[in-house]
Order: sequence, then C-alpha cells, then structure tokens
Amino acid sequence: MTHFWKWTIAVFVVLLLAAFLVLCKMAGSPKDAYGMVRYAFPHMHRGTLKVGDDAPDARLVALDGSDRFHIRERTGGRPLVMIFGSYT
Amino acid sequence: MVQIYNDYKDHADFLTVYVREAHPTDEWQMKSNVKDDVCYAQPKNLGQRVAIANDFIKRFHYPIAFGIDDINNAAEAAYSAWPERLYIIDESGRIAYRGGMGPFHYDPDEVRAWLAARYGAVKHDPPTSQPTTSPSTPPAPTPPATGSG
Repeated sequence: MTHFWKWTIAVFVVLLLAAFLVLCKMAGSPKDAYGMVRYAFPHMHRGTLKVGDDAPDARLVALDGSDRFHIRERTGGRPLVMIFGSYT
Repeated sequence: MVQIYNDYKDHADFLTVYVREAHPTDEWQMKSNVKDDVCYAQPKNLGQRVAIANDFIKRFHYPIAFGIDDINNAAEAAYSAWPERLYIIDESGRIAYRGGMGPFHYDPDEVRAWLAARYGAVKHDPPTSQPTTSPSTPPAPTPPATGSG
C-alpha cells in the first residue's frame, strides 16, 4: 500500500506541476499564472444566456455618477450593441 | 469597436457597459498596465468606478454612449460579462448575438459581420504609408486586445 500511495502522490504532483507550467505558458509568467487563478478564474463565467433569450435588464449609472437608467430603456427602436469591459 | 461604431451608428445603437476592473493594481496587474500607465486599484465604491470610467473617456475621447455597472456588479453578473464581452440585442429586446468570453474569444469582427449582414459592409480605404503621431482610434475599455474594430 505504501508504494501505491507514493506513486499516487508522485503522479498528482507531476500533474499539478504540468498544469502550473501550462498556466504559466498561457498567462506569460508564474506571477501572471497565480493572478489568473486567484483573481480571474473565480469571476469568469460562461453564463447561460443564449441567442433568442430575453435580454436581461440592469440599472446602470451615467458618467456623472448620479443619473441612472435601465438597459431596457436603450432597446426597442434599433439593435443595441453592448460592449462590456473596463479600462485596465 | 470605435470604428464599427462610426460605420454603423446610423443603423444601430451602441452602449458601453463599464464593469469591474480586469487588472487592477491590488489584484492581477499586468506589465502592460504599467507600461501604458493604466494603474488603478479595484474600485471599492461607485464613485471610484465612475472616476476611472471618466479618466478612460477623457484619455481616449471615447465617443460611444456609456453606462457604468453599479458596485454590486448586477449587469456583469446578468451577462456573464467579465472581463469583456460583446452582445447585440435586437429590436424586440432579445439577444441576437452573444460574443465569446474575453479576452481570448472577444471578437469585434463578429459584431461587424452581424451588422454587415443586415446593413451592408462598410469598406475602408487601405491605410497610407505615412506614420501617424497619435492613435487612430481609441480602444474599447478592455485589456490590451488584438481584435480589429
């Protein structure tokens, strides 16, 4: 049994190392790999929306910081292209 | 995306939705952020997020209509939009196009193709060989992206 567990742990460590190397390659460096796992993965979701679904509504804030409007207020007359993103 | 906006603004509406920062200084900051002098901590309140959004608009003279997601990130959650994503909502309020998750599947060309299929392609003259001293179009609020638009 001891041999079995040793091999199991060894294989697990090798797989973990391989996964880390792949992440480093994807992200660019070990620091970026850590950042990706720690900060990006928890927030990245494919989501369940599909073409044909009703577009969800949400309340947004205008650039002045005080006026508010709903996404639905901008739909209806023409197609609405929505660009989600941030400065950084 | 600004080029696409300029090409199709007579046919479709555009709305930029500003979400939580992708690479703030206190989380996963990238070298390119430092190089481009885009260094902001993750906003802890709405006022901070509004200030960063206004900095972006000012720096790039960004022309597209803007809405900022509240600090509870409701719009980002509803559209699974972090860090960046594109959608098109049709006239009946339904999703007509749902872009891939950014950054790897964020593709403005797909938006252009959708609009071109409906309203016709917009051709541009090939760029001249003369060097320019300023950016030709400001980027959409995303991490440094390679997609055209």
